[in-house]
Amino acid sequence: MSSDAVKKRKPKVIRSEGGTPEAKRGRGESDQLSAVSSHVKFRKVRLRQVKVKIPAGPHLIGQRKLFTAKTQEVRVYNEEVELEGRDPQHDYMLYKDTCAALAKLMAEIQELKAGGVKDGSVEIEERRRQSSVHFITLKKLNRLAHMRLKKGRDQTHEAKQRVDVLHLQLQNLLYEVMHLQKEIGKCLEFKSQHEEIELVSEEEFFQEAPAEISRPHVTRDDQHQLTLARLDWELEQRKRLAEQYKTSLTSKEKIQKAIEQKREYLSSLQPGLQNIMQASVPVQEYLKMPFEHMQKQAEVARHLPPPLYVLLVQAGAYGQACDKHLSVSISGDVDEAKALSRPPEDSQDDESDSDAEEEQQNTKRRRATVGAQLDDKRKEMLRRHPLSLCVDLKCKDGSVLHLFFYYLMNLNILTVKTKVSTSTDLSGAVSAGELLNQESLLNCLYASDHGKETPNPSNRYQFDKVGITTFSDYVSDLGHPYVWVQKLGGLQFSSDGAQSGLRGSALSASHMERTIKLLRGRLQARLSLHKQFSSLEHSIIPVSSECQHLFPAKVISGLTRWTMMSHQEFTELGFVQHVLKAGLVHETDLFFMAVVERGTARVSAAVVLNPRYPDVAPLFSLSLLWKGERSGRSDDNLRAVESEVNVFRSELQGPRPGLQLLTNQIQRLCVCLDVYLETESQVCDGSEGPKEFPREKMCLRTARGPSRLKPFKYNHPQGFFSHR
Amino acid sequence: MNSRKMGPVELLHMSVFSQSFSPCGRFLAAGNNYGEIAVFSLSAALSPDASEGSQKPILNFTAHDGPVFSLLSTDTHLLSAGNGEISAWSWAELIKKNTKAAWTRKPNYETSLEIPEINAMIINPKDNSLTVGGGDNNIHIMDMETGIFKSVLKGHTDYIHCLCFKEREGEILSGGEDGAVRIWDSRTNRPVHCIEVFKYEECARPQFGKWISCLATDSDWMLCGGGPSLSLWHLRSMSPTSVFPLPGCQREAVFYQDLIMSVGEGPNVSHCLHGGTVKAQIPCSPSSLNTLALNLKNTEHRVMTVGGSSHQIDVFTNFSYRAFSLSF
Repeated sequence: MSSDAVKKRKPKVIRSEGGTPEAKRGRGESDQLSAVSSHVKFRKVRLRQVKVKIPAGPHLIGQRKLFTAKTQEVRVYNEEVELEGRDPQHDYMLYKDTCAALAKLMAEIQELKAGGVKDGSVEIEERRRQSSVHFITLKKLNRLAHMRLKKGRDQTHEAKQRVDVLHLQLQNLLYEVMHLQKEIGKCLEFKSQHEEIELVSEEEFFQEAPAEISRPHVTRDDQHQLTLARLDWELEQRKRLAEQYKTSLTSKEKIQKAIEQKREYLSSLQPGLQNIMQASVPVQEYLKMPFEHMQKQAEVARHLPPPLYVLLVQAGAYGQACDKHLSVSISGDVDEAKALSRPPEDSQDDESDSDAEEEQQNTKRRRATVGAQLDDKRKEMLRRHPLSLCVDLKCKDGSVLHLFFYYLMNLNILTVKTKVSTSTDLSGAVSAGELLNQESLLNCLYASDHGKETPNPSNRYQFDKVGITTFSDYVSDLGHPYVWVQKLGGLQFSSDGAQSGLRGSALSASHMERTIKLLRGRLQARLSLHKQFSSLEHSIIPVSSECQHLFPAKVISGLTRWTMMSHQEFTELGFVQHVLKAGLVHETDLFFMAVVERGTARVSAAVVLNPRYPDVAPLFSLSLLWKGERSGRSDDNLRAVESEVNVFRSELQGPRPGLQLLTNQIQRLCVCLDVYLETESQVCDGSEGPKEFPREKMCLRTARGPSRLKPFKYNHPQGFFSHR
Repeated sequence: MNSRKMGPVELLHMSVFSQSFSPCGRFLAAGNNYGEIAVFSLSAALSPDASEGSQKPILNFTAHDGPVFSLLSTDTHLLSAGNGEISAWSWAELIKKNTKAAWTRKPNYETSLEIPEINAMIINPKDNSLTVGGGDNNIHIMDMETGIFKSVLKGHTDYIHCLCFKEREGEILSGGEDGAVRIWDSRTNRPVHCIEVFKYEECARPQFGKWISCLATDSDWMLCGGGPSLSLWHLRSMSPTSVFPLPGCQREAVFYQDLIMSVGEGPNVSHCLHGGTVKAQIPCSPSSLNTLALNLKNTEHRVMTVGGSSHQIDVFTNFSYRAFSLSF
């Protein structure tokens, strides 16, 4: 509690003390003396004086008033002194006695009055005087009580003030203590900079530092001195290291200068060495050690785009390891490639800038130039990398399959073009034209890989921008983007199914061997077909000695025609509809028409040749023109012939890889036609039937089973025909 | 014997030769030219929520080396005939996809150069014997109890196409490549009659030939056809009563209520009336048909199925149009 508050309150207390005792007293008197109380109250001070100086009489009041002002202090002082000498307990007893005497007097007066004594009689007067004296006594006692109260109050107040002062002093002291504690804390928390410096450990310090720095006699016991000494030692050491650093720098400069000199010397050697290299070229050629060539290729290879580089490395590696007849070379404009590869980012920026400019221009004169600009954009999008790879696959017979791999930079796909060069002239066969056509040579190397559409799914959106509807329009220009080509170049697109997580070289390597084998197989198949076709066109069915056992010695039916057909022509034939319906015909297949004749009978065979021949057997559909037209649909026996030709490829394919399959199938068709015709005349009733086809084949039975099939199966050593 | 993988070319050249419904009528077995038997679930294929998959066989296995020309169901077993051998497969085991033959029997053939095929099998319920006919021109009768071939009926001069049983008289009818329909007494194993159909001008078709490839009987009536036209015969008078003007050679014909159904060359099922008129020709998917079967045992799955020169078997729920095809 602040001292201010205490001060403010004090007067209040005093005031209330002045008020309440009066009220209390008034109440106490009214109980006993209701008649005189109001009178006494009003003349409190005066009565005090009256009592001391003059024992009684209200008539003297005016006179006494005059000297009260002069004598009051002295009297009050006397009374106070008197107060000190009196015993409160005694006063209390006096009060009690007085009250009792007063009550007794009152009762006597009452009695007298009741006894008929008149007012103012002696007895009554006497008693009234006595009562007055008692009243005065009571008044005196009252005053004394008041004074005691006041005195007590003053004493309390004094004591309280003393307590307040002491309390204030205590507060000040506490505050001071707190402040000092804080200061101590601050001092304790002080951090010196030296603490961040990493010093050597004490043991090390005493071991290494000289005595004048370490001063062990002082520092052993004094931690502060020890730290100072250690800091001194640290400074000393640092100074030494700085010096060492300076010397190292100078030596380094010296060495650098020496290196420079030596380098100059070496570079001065290069022209001389080059001269020697130049001179050694003829020797290299003579010794067939093409170091120079390989070096040059490696130099050029640095400018290849990544997919072609992967292809180069993997094809080269495969060629070295497994296939001596495979060679890889780089062709194209190296300077252009260099220009392309050096500032790749700049050129792209330029491109986009120019694109933006173009677009601005576009908005200005959109109509006039939109076509031309789209053309330019298309050309830009379909641009090839200036370098290309040429992989040459040599076959044993001397023919070579040239594969030209190109990289379309903006589409991020590889394309391939092919060329076949043969050792012999192959212009003979007309129907073989498609066989070595670069458009279709590599179709479906892997099943359903047509190489018409781009395998990179994001190209679709690029095309949309420049209005290219399909990539197949550009295939003849740019080459075929077969999926296997992408894989050889290590490109993998999500649409491939992405079964393997392989990328880059690993992907290329995983496909290299199989693809090269397929390529060789394809070339061999096509070349052998080419040869077979030229003899087929001359109506000769070449049957090799390994396959002689499949057919009887005498076959009368013969091939008369072998021509090529378009897909369109094929689909228009009536007797192939079931094959079309079964989904066995694709646009990429090659279609041929073979005509086999014997006498008046004539079989037309529509042949579907899958590009993956001989892995996929050619499919024959037959139509026989003899005594009306019959086809495999209407004649169960003709259907059986078809099945005999188509289904049993394992019998007919001959030595691996089955390159004689087609010719053997044609030969079997001829044999089956013989059987068909020879047994046909017999089945009815031999006597009446026309003897155009005399029975020459040996058959156990001419018909069998519910569909009365003829015996088309030739049994080799015995030479008879039986049923399956 | 597991099925080998059928390529698309093999499927293209597949022919279905024989069919038989299981005794419960819920399954159909079909045999093809590669010696395979496929079991189809009719209840699955006919159910309202049938899918593409339910038209595929639930079981497909190679039963014989040669084509399966004949299939027959007894109360418990499926009998299949291949090249000169008869195998039995328990239906219960087949449904569990267990393809182990219960037994295999070979009739005693005289020839050895080429194993004769078996073209027809019938059960004689009177003495529980199996009658088979095929490539060796003879009819062999096997006792089903013992598995012993107890007798041989000789008479045909060329191979036997079809067999048929005339229950009331206990007679076996056989039709063959030689153009004769022979009637045998099953108790005495002696020939009773021989009808050379091609000699009757009404039905002869010399441009085709004389063979009889289908036979069916119904009390006193007999249906036969093949090279000659399909004709209805009255057996007591041994004369043809009506000849059906169907263009191709018929391979299977059955009596069904007041109709005669017949299949053969040509892609349709012919419905004929006894009077000799062709009521309808219902188109099917195979280009020619070998076999027709009616499932009358199970009223729930009452269907007609036909198979021929295709890997598909057409199913008719209503006999006047093709509902869908089962496929090998």
